[in-house]
Amino acid sequence: MALLNSEDWYDIARDTNWTPRYVSEQALFPKELSDVLEMPLELLETFDEPYKVTYRDYVKTQREKDVGAYSVKAALARSQMYENASPGWKALLQMHFGAVSFLEYHSVSAFARMTRFGRAPGMRNMATFGSLDEMRHAQVHLYFAYEYLAKSRTFDWAQKAPRTDNWVIISERHTFDDLEHTRDAISAAIMTNFAFETAFTNLQFIALSADAANCGDFSFSTMLQSIQSDEARHAQIGEPLLKMMIDSGRKAEAQKLIDISFWRCWKQFSALSGTCMDYYTPLDKREGSFKEFMNEWILDQFVAKLEDMGMEKPWYWDLLLEDIEVFHHAQQLGIYLYRPTEWWHPIAGTNPAERAWLEEKYPGWNDTFGQVWDVIIENIRAGRLDSTIPKTLPMLCNMHGLELTGVPGRKWNLKDHTLDYQGRRYHFQSVVDKWIFEQEPERYAGHLSLIDRVAQGIVAPDGVMEHMNMAPEEYGIEGTNYAWVEAYDDALTTRRATGT
Amino acid sequence: MSNFPVVCGFEGDYGFKVLMVDRSSTMDDVCAVAADLLAGVVVRPVAPTERLRVRLPDATEPLPPTLTVAEAGFIELETIEIYREPRVLAAVRNDA
Ligand SMILES: [Fe+2]
Ligand SMILES: [Fe+2]
Repeated sequence: MALLNSEDWYDIARDTNWTPRYVSEQALFPKELSDVLEMPLELLETFDEPYKVTYRDYVKTQREKDVGAYSVKAALARSQMYENASPGWKALLQMHFGAVSFLEYHSVSAFARMTRFGRAPGMRNMATFGSLDEMRHAQVHLYFAYEYLAKSRTFDWAQKAPRTDNWVIISERHTFDDLEHTRDAISAAIMTNFAFETAFTNLQFIALSADAANCGDFSFSTMLQSIQSDEARHAQIGEPLLKMMIDSGRKAEAQKLIDISFWRCWKQFSALSGTCMDYYTPLDKREGSFKEFMNEWILDQFVAKLEDMGMEKPWYWDLLLEDIEVFHHAQQLGIYLYRPTEWWHPIAGTNPAERAWLEEKYPGWNDTFGQVWDVIIENIRAGRLDSTIPKTLPMLCNMHGLELTGVPGRKWNLKDHTLDYQGRRYHFQSVVDKWIFEQEPERYAGHLSLIDRVAQGIVAPDGVMEHMNMAPEEYGIEGTNYAWVEAYDDALTTRRATGT
Repeated sequence: MSNFPVVCGFEGDYGFKVLMVDRSSTMDDVCAVAADLLAGVVVRPVAPTERLRVRLPDATEPLPPTLTVAEAGFIELETIEIYREPRVLAAVRNDA
């Protein structure tokens, strides 16, 4: 039987905007779920997917990708890569699988909602493949994590994380529920596909996969590349929609969605990937600093893309540039100090050589972040390990959900941006986090951070670990058993011996 | 057990911490809690020549050391700063 070429039937086959007879158009596509801005249907129907793929071709390609990723994994199963990896790389893997697996799984339903409530047939088609992509991402994550489980119980968090109230997980959920799961199909697509996937995941997976290859972790590197190839396709759902919003006089609304989403993703990305790049990845395996990566791969490219589309840089650009210098350094301190509250085994990444690198990449690091590390180092060298874990809770930001941090040391700059709303005081790290809240207070006001739960007596101060579903044997422990501090003894001995 | 939370920015620290105090705690009591939990942990220990002070964010003057949390009108999760003052300076105020 002769088969038609796909371009001969594709447009007709995917034109599924039928006229409903049993329910009204509004009942079928309520605007709260479909398009709060009510763009005209004729406009939406012009959505032309940049990537046209048939189901048959899709399945064929995806199968090949899976075969590639799983066979590299199988081939390297006995390679002892994990056993021989540096403590930092182990921490990175442990953190990654706990933090990312459930986000992949949740994305399945985010795309499914676009499929159900999107009004453009082309968008629905792409989102269907997007759902299948995310299912694959969730499965490959869970499979890889399961394989690691025999090596470390920390990988159990690939399964467990979303069912806990661990503070890192709450922060992630708050962010991604906001962008992906609690908006109409079009807003969610702008926030998820355009701002998050185009700007961050796309490049994040490239950078992480390069670092993985440098570290000899070829199965992780292959897995990330395999996922990345899907992201590059389904991230493109956002662009045609953005163009329609601009063309129909909804540019300001589009700009706001991007500004909110970009900042929220930035905070997550900075805390989780920034620390991995500048502290967890072994010094000799680093491609560059997180700041360099941000500037080259994210800021330049994202701005070029925005300008290309006729959009502006987010209004907070100068604040973002300042934040790139500091936020992840402060988060790294907190992650290290509060290690029992994390499922992974954090490392410091601040031995003398690493500090020299940090000072070179971030001039002034020693005078600021280094000052807190000095206190920690002194405690470890004096055997006061107890004092390396604070006995009081850190304050969390009511928007990003991570620690409310600033700049320590000699250039101390720590600000709490508060807002009183309906009898409750909210605390934000920055004017941007506060601005996001102010755009739609009722969206965010009901959420209680872990600290709010303690303050309101819902959780007892000594019941926090239990509330976070952390069993004592899961408390994060120091990834190097404090061995990194020995380099300071060596450095001191050398200095004394040479009289310098 | 103390159950009144304040949000404390200890001069030099990288982030705010939550301290549990009482409504009847004085500013000096609050400083003592902060010193106990944070000095020598995230900031260097308090030297004998230094005295800790509480001030509201952006304020230049400290709150009186005997003022209580209730008298100061703090709400739960009130934000404060704790900073070091050389005792020689504190002596000028007669509360070194
Ligand atoms: Fe994904
Ligand atoms: Fe994706």
